[in-house]
Amino acid sequence: MLELRDLARRYGDVVALDGISFTVGAGQMYGFVGPNGAGKTTTMRIILGVLAPDRGEVLFDDRPVGFEERVRFGYMPEERGLYPKMRVRDQLIYMARLHGIDGSAAGRAADRWIETLGLTERAGDRVEALSLGNQQRVQLAAALVHDPELLVLDEPFSGLDPVGVDVLSGVLAEYAATGVPVVFSSHQLELVERLCDSVAIIKDGRLVASGPVEELRDRGTDERHVRVAIQGVEGDAWLAAVPGARVKDRGVRGTLIALEDASPEAVLDAARAAGTVTYFSLERPTLTDLFREAVAA
Amino acid sequence: MSSRETVQLVATRELRERSREKSFLISTTVNIVIIVAVIILAAILGGGETTYKVAGDPALIQAAARAASGTDIHVEEVPVTTDLRAALEDGSIDAAVQNGRIIAKDNPPDDLVALLQAGNNRNVKAPAPLQITTIEPVDKDADAKSGYTFFMVLILYGQLLTYGYWVAAGVVEEKASRVVEVVLSAIRPAQLLAGKVIGLGLLGLGNLLLIVAVGLGAAGATGALTIDGTVLGAAVLALAWFVVGYAFYACAFAVAGALVSRQEDLQSTMTPLTLTILVSFFLSFAVRDNPDGLLANILAFIPMTAPLTVPPRIATGDVPAWEIVASLAVTIGAAVALIPLAARIYSGGILRTGSALKLREAWRAARA
Repeated sequence: MLELRDLARRYGDVVALDGISFTVGAGQMYGFVGPNGAGKTTTMRIILGVLAPDRGEVLFDDRPVGFEERVRFGYMPEERGLYPKMRVRDQLIYMARLHGIDGSAAGRAADRWIETLGLTERAGDRVEALSLGNQQRVQLAAALVHDPELLVLDEPFSGLDPVGVDVLSGVLAEYAATGVPVVFSSHQLELVERLCDSVAIIKDGRLVASGPVEELRDRGTDERHVRVAIQGVEGDAWLAAVPGARVKDRGVRGTLIALEDASPEAVLDAARAAGTVTYFSLERPTLTDLFREAVAA
Repeated sequence: MSSRETVQLVATRELRERSREKSFLISTTVNIVIIVAVIILAAILGGGETTYKVAGDPALIQAAARAASGTDIHVEEVPVTTDLRAALEDGSIDAAVQNGRIIAKDNPPDDLVALLQAGNNRNVKAPAPLQITTIEPVDKDADAKSGYTFFMVLILYGQLLTYGYWVAAGVVEEKASRVVEVVLSAIRPAQLLAGKVIGLGLLGLGNLLLIVAVGLGAAGATGALTIDGTVLGAAVLALAWFVVGYAFYACAFAVAGALVSRQEDLQSTMTPLTLTILVSFFLSFAVRDNPDGLLANILAFIPMTAPLTVPPRIATGDVPAWEIVASLAVTIGAAVALIPLAARIYSGGILRTGSALKLREAWRAARA
């Protein structure tokens, strides 16, 4: 279990982090989201000990994290994070050995991850000669090659095509399932919503929301929404019959209606009166909605 | 993993990866080809056209000049008003002939001696061979040694700049690719710095050893230089000076690399270092002209200039043993003092991206 307690860090006069606390349980996938410059990378660097906090501490399994513990963490920094001219297999062996794995075991671990991530054909190539997607796979392999007890990844999915995203997310979910906490940052909120049990939303160095995704969505925003589609009915003149409801958005699945004073039942009644209802649902806010609201506040 | 093993692991990577690079293999081959070519060409072409300036007995000199006609050697008479000794010392004349003697600074060129003897034979009815007097002890390899020291300084200069640059460029490559973040999540900055400097230093030393072996081999084979204990001793000391000079400069180059985030910015932070090496290189010529002078003695005790100005003096045998030891000690001491400073600035700068840092900023950033 990873626990951050009240982390703070300044760069000169700029406050990068101002009291960040959250906990990631064993086997949990934890999404870390926030606008650019919010402090995500700084937080991750502090977890990995690459940067020292001005205040606060990082605990792993209830013990303060020191140099010895960090050697057993895995880290993937945003973009690159590899020696461009080094060959894939050599690179993975080197990374494993830096984390204290001895020579022959490092070779076996490198080969295992090369195979798992479908890099067998590329094992002897220089990293700079690989496509972005393959480079990202090598990066992930480099973070995993020493069987870390904690995995921290900064924007692991940026720039990947959907197949690459599937491969990477599959490997991460599998690895988390072995009981390892996995923390990653991403701007792809639908992906975070799909993969993560819990999230933290950060803005200007402070947490604005954190917790299990479902709980956050239930707690939701101040507004409630329903989505309605009525066969053969264009426009939304029928909604005039319901006071306290207004059209918020028109999508392919139907019209999104914000409820101010009206109840969902009143909207459904009006819709049925207008024609055959083909779609009706109570819409919970998505992570994207929560993010927009949190960040705008 | 112990700290020593970590440093060894990093050093091995540097050594292995750099030596596998095409640019390294090409530049090493080119260097060796050039050295062998220069030595062989020098042996084949010999002196070429030469003009000797001689003062003294006008009839004898004119006779020698006549004897030289038709060859590519010219003998020119130079009137000397001041004393001959001073003119010989400063090199404004090559030799003087007077009272049946040839006077030279050290070993006079064989062809000049032959011409003067021939001139003497023509002028005098019953010629007695001219006696040769020198004002300095004779070293028959002096010319070859002078050429050899020139090469030695040139190569040391090239090695210091090249390997210093590689240290800096390697640091920037790690910063620019952010791989340094991954590496530093597993090992300490000082271990990374030490491994990098040691790995590239060993590569540089091996490279230099190869160049020296090939160079001495070629010079010995063509007869340009007699390979004796003095020459080998000087070569070993030159290698030792590379190690010491590199240790001093490599840390400084690593700092230059840690201050910037992109290769394009590296030039600006490296310039003070490359200039210092360049100035030392030029000062070494002044020292070659006057190896016992005050300047030579002062430069031997400045860590920045000693690595390029002391080795040529050792090769020509112009520096006492105590001075070699003392100046080595000063430079080693300076390198040892520089290492912790460099390590701190390096660890402060290594994770900062964006525009170039100032030394002071990097120093402060490393407080934790």
